[in-house]
Amino acid sequence: MRADVIEIEWQRRLTLNAIVCSLSELKCLAAEVRLERAMRRHGQALQVAWKAGFKPDQPRVPKGNPDGGKWTAEGGDSGDPKPGKEGASYKPGSSGQRPPTSRERTSVLRDVARQIQQTGKTVEFFARAAKWIQVYSADIAAYNDPPKSLEDLQRGASTPAPGYDIHHIVEQAQAEQDGFPREVIDDPNNLVRVPRLKHQEINGWYQTKNPEFGELSPREYLSGRSWEVRRAVGLQALRDLGVLKP
Amino acid sequence: MNRISLQSLTVSQLVDRFTALALEQYEAERHGDTARFNRLFDEVVRIKDELAGRAGDQRSALVTLFDHPNPQVRLNAAQRALAVSPVAARQALQRLWDNREFPQAAYAHQTLTALDEGTSRLS
Repeated sequence: MRADVIEIEWQRRLTLNAIVCSLSELKCLAAEVRLERAMRRHGQALQVAWKAGFKPDQPRVPKGNPDGGKWTAEGGDSGDPKPGKEGASYKPGSSGQRPPTSRERTSVLRDVARQIQQTGKTVEFFARAAKWIQVYSADIAAYNDPPKSLEDLQRGASTPAPGYDIHHIVEQAQAEQDGFPREVIDDPNNLVRVPRLKHQEINGWYQTKNPEFGELSPREYLSGRSWEVRRAVGLQALRDLGVLKP
Repeated sequence: MNRISLQSLTVSQLVDRFTALALEQYEAERHGDTARFNRLFDEVVRIKDELAGRAGDQRSALVTLFDHPNPQVRLNAAQRALAVSPVAARQALQRLWDNREFPQAAYAHQTLTALDEGTSRLS
């Protein structure tokens, strides 16, 4: 009789232990899933942030101010050139001040990047006349990257970097509108890391009328076309703009 | 620019207008104003059509612009005169690409590639 009680108690404890272990495993699994989802969200957020021009090194208003923690204008000074110094005669934009809109800033940054390409001068040379430019030195330096292989550009897509954007070879908005599934659009095969200022040129290229597309813009030309045609045009844009090796 | 009757203009005036439009396009591109760029593009096509329709196909008058200091003027002239002056136009496009004068170099490279592949719509 006593042996039966001990056996029953033993079995009860074994069962309880098994239940506790199973519960722990379930908790671990749930934690893993939560972690994986958080990592994925973080990755997506990073991509969006990079695309939106997020710069971790952009200065913020110091703690204690009414706007403490908010992003602030780069440079934080008037940007007036110092008289007598090399570069002082060149004023990107009209005054050397940081332009108020993103479009105007992009225009100046591309001018500077192109001039560096043409003249071999440095970012520092131009920053003497407009200090705000210095904050965008990564964007400017990336613009003058030599063309890379498709494999290199695709490999870069998994590691966002200052001065670069993640670009969809087949334009994502139009592809989604035309019914291509999101998993195809976001497939690693369709993603490349490109210099941010080149990315803006690529976007402009897609919208600009072009005699080689029958006087249409590439975007108009591609409407309703197959994935293969879109990809061929996407790769062509990268080659023509000097991002992808011919 | 307001739309004007192109038939009343001389070839020289048409070339001047072609140049002015390209310079405006250059500024529009610099400032990311694609809508304005495309409106100007339509005007460029109108002038090209007018020159092509003149006796003897006067697109050859655009050859004088192949050495213009502005890359957008050179690009437009080379693309629009390619059919009547293929060798010089091709050289002008090649120079744009070799000098990496972006973004005009991109359009020049596209046409050069299309010419090599026999798919250009401009030849």
